[in-house]
Amino acid sequence: MVKVALKYCGSCNPQVNLRWLADKLALAAAGQGFELVPLSPASIDAMVILCGCPRACGNKDEVRGRARDCIVVAGESLDVRPVAEADLAAAAAERLLRLRDTFN
Amino acid sequence: MAMMTGNEYRASLEGLKPEVYFMGERIERVLDHLAFVPHINAAALTYDMALAPEYEELTMATSHLTGEKINRFTHIHQSHDDLVKKVKMLRAIGQQTGSCFQRCVGFDGMNAVYSVTYDIDQKKSTDYHARFVKFLKEVQSRDLMITGAMTDPKGDRSLPPGKQKDPDSYAHIVKRDAEGIVINGAKTHITGAVNSHGHLVMPTAAMTPEDANYAVCCYVPVDAPGVIHIFGRQTNDDRKCNCALDQGNVDYGSVGGEALVVFDNVFVPTEHVFMAGEHEFAYSLVERFATAHRQNYGGCKVGLTDALVGATFLAAEAQGTSSASHIREKLVDMVHLAETLYCCSIACSCQGYALPAGSYMADPLLANITKLNVTRNVYEIARLAHDIAGGILATMPAETDWKDPKVGKYVDKYMKASAGASAETRMRLIRLIEAMTCGTALVESMHGAGSPQAQRIMIWRQANLEHKKRLALKLAKIGDQPYLVS
Repeated sequence: MVKVALKYCGSCNPQVNLRWLADKLALAAAGQGFELVPLSPASIDAMVILCGCPRACGNKDEVRGRARDCIVVAGESLDVRPVAEADLAAAAAERLLRLRDTFN
Repeated sequence: MAMMTGNEYRASLEGLKPEVYFMGERIERVLDHLAFVPHINAAALTYDMALAPEYEELTMATSHLTGEKINRFTHIHQSHDDLVKKVKMLRAIGQQTGSCFQRCVGFDGMNAVYSVTYDIDQKKSTDYHARFVKFLKEVQSRDLMITGAMTDPKGDRSLPPGKQKDPDSYAHIVKRDAEGIVINGAKTHITGAVNSHGHLVMPTAAMTPEDANYAVCCYVPVDAPGVIHIFGRQTNDDRKCNCALDQGNVDYGSVGGEALVVFDNVFVPTEHVFMAGEHEFAYSLVERFATAHRQNYGGCKVGLTDALVGATFLAAEAQGTSSASHIREKLVDMVHLAETLYCCSIACSCQGYALPAGSYMADPLLANITKLNVTRNVYEIARLAHDIAGGILATMPAETDWKDPKVGKYVDKYMKASAGASAETRMRLIRLIEAMTCGTALVESMHGAGSPQAQRIMIWRQANLEHKKRLALKLAKIGDQPYLVS
């Protein structure tokens, strides 16, 4: 199982609905070989950093350093590529699945 | 080549032969013409301050392309720190010049073009970005001063570029071949145009497929055949003679020395073409340039205001009013208004973000807020300076009358106010305040980097109003709203 943790930016003035996105991601990941883990344990394979706007305040070195791989949602973007809010969950899920394959 | 000094910059202009007109005359030599000297001096200071140890933390950067030390005005922002340093640099230089030093426009243009050419290539498999990077390396290594030539004359504002009666109302491509393109049209209000090394031409608005030939971005040397510069008049520009006192800011003048730049069948080789018809990217380029440029105004204008507050305080001292409580309150208001603008520029820099190309841009919403505040606060700052300075600002006798053998003694006698300041001191301060707050200097704060309505349009687009509506719906208990709205 690939251990995935979610890290939020803090949601001061979000341009996208991060909770909705996280729920969609969890749904897409269910039964796909992922285990959603809290941020506390030392062992995290992949970190999904969820930021409400392009400023990406959650995307910090100390956060990135806790996992082998990271996916960064920052407003309507995924890993600095523009993605419309409606497509963000699917794009992030696809990225997670590709990451999972690199762990096998 | 290394970074240039101010004098090396001046020398570099010697070899250029731009076609320049002013007041009905062809100006053969820009470098020592009185109309242009103050603007050349201000631009030269951007070179000298980059090499001054006390400023280099702000004014010098390391090229991400070559690892070489470069003038920050040729740098592509690589971090939030770069964005913040840009604002601080602009304030620091503005304090020294008390006027526009011109170089930020091309700086902002290069940052916008760098990121947008990357985006175009990703989508269209073009090679604009590689071309631009090659050009940028040359700009950095030769420490060139490039204008940002964006604003078109626009003709009938109710019509898009392709539907204008005069097709040249917007700069556009009239010919393409394997060697390059030919452009026609013009760009207006181009800051530092006659004393730059070249122009970075950019589209001025969003474009449709019908406007494809108007979606053009390219570099044109200042003395390329067919490029014609018609220098603009400024308030009191006939004082640019030998009457130093009456100019107020004799070394650096007022605003940036703007010109109408005409492109009359100008050939641009392919290596200098960075967009040629990709209309769907024109808006991104405009938005990124506008964001970068509006970010600036809480830097440079605050630097200018620092000097203006000093001049106003000194004028009050020279007139014996400085201890009055209302004068102190007004000086505090001037500082408050200025530092509010600085807060805005620092905030939009700290809230900036990375783009796909790896470069950074300021937060667009906050940058537009910054500039919209400038259109108000700078006028209010000027109003307060006028209030404190008094009516003498508009009625003071000329420098020549002060020096006149017959009436000079009267001017000196009646312009002297408090015991501690001479008439000359007071007159110099009043003229400086006049130069910094009257006429052209003030209009620049309204329309430079775009008119207020342009900022309002961007604010409307960026305001995330749907989120605000959801917050209200929850608080008003309308519909089935979640406990926490995000």
